[in-house]
Amino acid sequence: MSPERLSQPGAEYLAQRHVQVYLEDALAQLLENKDEVEPQGSTAKFFAQYFASVSKGTHVLFREFGFVQITPHNRASFLKIFWRCFRTIAKNGDLLSMKEYHCLLQILCPDFPEDLTQKAARIVLMDDAMDCLMSFCDFLYAFQIQFYYSEFLDTASALYQDLLTGKNANTVIVPTSRSATSRQRQPPSDSSSQDGVDAPQFCQGLESLCERYRHSCPPVPLIGEILSSAPRVSFYGFLMALAKHPGINQSIGALPDRAHLLLDELLDKELDRLIAQLSTSSITHSPTSSCALISRDIARVASPRKCLATRRRPDLESDGSTEETDSSES
Amino acid sequence: MAPERLHADITMAEKRRAMAGSPVCRAAPGPVNETEFLAQSGAKDMLREAVLKLLEARPEEPTAFLADYFEKLWTGSGTAAGEKGVHLLAQQRLNRALWYLKLSHHSQRTAFNNNLNMAYECLSTGGRKKKTGLTGKNYSEVLSSICQEGELPEEISCELLRKIKCRDHEAVPFDIFRYGVLTCFVLLEFRSKADSLFSVLNKQGPADQRLGKAVLDTLEEALVTSDLFIPASYLEAGTKLGPDGLALAMDKAYLGNNSDATISRNQFLKDACALFLYKVKPVG
Repeated sequence: MSPERLSQPGAEYLAQRHVQVYLEDALAQLLENKDEVEPQGSTAKFFAQYFASVSKGTHVLFREFGFVQITPHNRASFLKIFWRCFRTIAKNGDLLSMKEYHCLLQILCPDFPEDLTQKAARIVLMDDAMDCLMSFCDFLYAFQIQFYYSEFLDTASALYQDLLTGKNANTVIVPTSRSATSRQRQPPSDSSSQDGVDAPQFCQGLESLCERYRHSCPPVPLIGEILSSAPRVSFYGFLMALAKHPGINQSIGALPDRAHLLLDELLDKELDRLIAQLSTSSITHSPTSSCALISRDIARVASPRKCLATRRRPDLESDGSTEETDSSES
Repeated sequence: MAPERLHADITMAEKRRAMAGSPVCRAAPGPVNETEFLAQSGAKDMLREAVLKLLEARPEEPTAFLADYFEKLWTGSGTAAGEKGVHLLAQQRLNRALWYLKLSHHSQRTAFNNNLNMAYECLSTGGRKKKTGLTGKNYSEVLSSICQEGELPEEISCELLRKIKCRDHEAVPFDIFRYGVLTCFVLLEFRSKADSLFSVLNKQGPADQRLGKAVLDTLEEALVTSDLFIPASYLEAGTKLGPDGLALAMDKAYLGNNSDATISRNQFLKDACALFLYKVKPVG
């Protein structure tokens, strides 16, 4: 029990958990689907289904971008859906371009803005050679940071630019101390372009930024941890570190960690089973001719399995399209 | 139910996709139609009720709570006219009552009292919309379900039920119902508090028996000797259990200590619960 939640004023509790967004959306959806909802009785059913799908995270499927990005929960849900639907791409090891990833995103959310995809690709490619191909994992984790912390990153970028050009209000140049002035002057002139900005200073700025962005910024201790590893940091270096940090991924809670990204026990078990069946049934074919006594037994056992295997094979091939129903299942 | 819901999910999503493809020619129904529809469906009142319940309970995950709430509302309305067996209906009523009781924590008195009322109403309604009152049998069932869900060990819950249960055929008045249910919830919380107390003792190696005993003795002194009808005794109990009072007792026990005997978590919890049970007044 968190006591904070219980002592909060009602309106604050509702606002913090974005309850109103979902209540309004529930009503809007009810009106949109009103032909299918009978006036009596099944309104409760409709709401039950709506809120169940919100809590499962399937409610953002095929919704407009405005809704998809409106709450942190919606963003996390969208990330999860994206991962689940297109995980097979990573399994096959295909590399795709930014445009192709954008098309995938548009399948799930028709009006998904291109600049977000572009920004995510920039993180992967470190703002360089934008027509390069990317692996699904790299793109996914970069996209997660960009999409989930979109506003925070925009402000952070502005802060970084300010630091680069030396416009920071925190920088105090002490005119009497010669060493200080020379140190202050040096970075912008030569090392800034390749080395970025002073990491502790950037960190300080981000911390005060996080205070203002209470709900949609990465955990402050983790930012500190990332920025304390090197004296200087470039913006894309920082974003890359954010994207790769397992703790940040955990705090968002939408995706599994990198090592488990491709693991899906149910699907894998199914695949293993199918492969095992295919191989046993193909092996059992050869001894049938040589040893008739055993073969009859085996053939009897193997035939229904083989039948199952061939029946299932089309599923295997069109894996990508069946994923969609899969995602709304759990 | 699950496949049906999945289907609904997909059809809803399909429809959204179709609509998103052609945002222009979306048929916009007249506003009169919509207000009429809302009034007919009772959606507004339904949502208002739900938000009130939500604010009472303040769950960690509001959407899951709302999903559950509407689910119960829907199945509840469906089975009122349903043709299910009497036994199944009784089971459903029990579940529903338990659900009410768990909607809010017992320390939030107004909300909890409201929910107690709802649960009592729900349990007292007989099969054919007839008010039969709450029987001792149903009452015991509620209590033992609460204990079971709280993972209370058999021996403790038996002892508790022996004290607060009524005979199967007896009609249970609301006051008794309230007392019994509240006792169960408070005992569960007491036990979890005792559990965390033991975890502290157990932090550095197995808990020392004497220290454990000192804590239990202090607890006993505070609980058992206090008189519930004198308000000041609550304060006295509080001071006895305050950090300094407890620390003094533990320190004394620690100084005179040179044995290696330990106390197990189960034993500690059992003793603590026994103290609580001693204070529970038997009903009837």
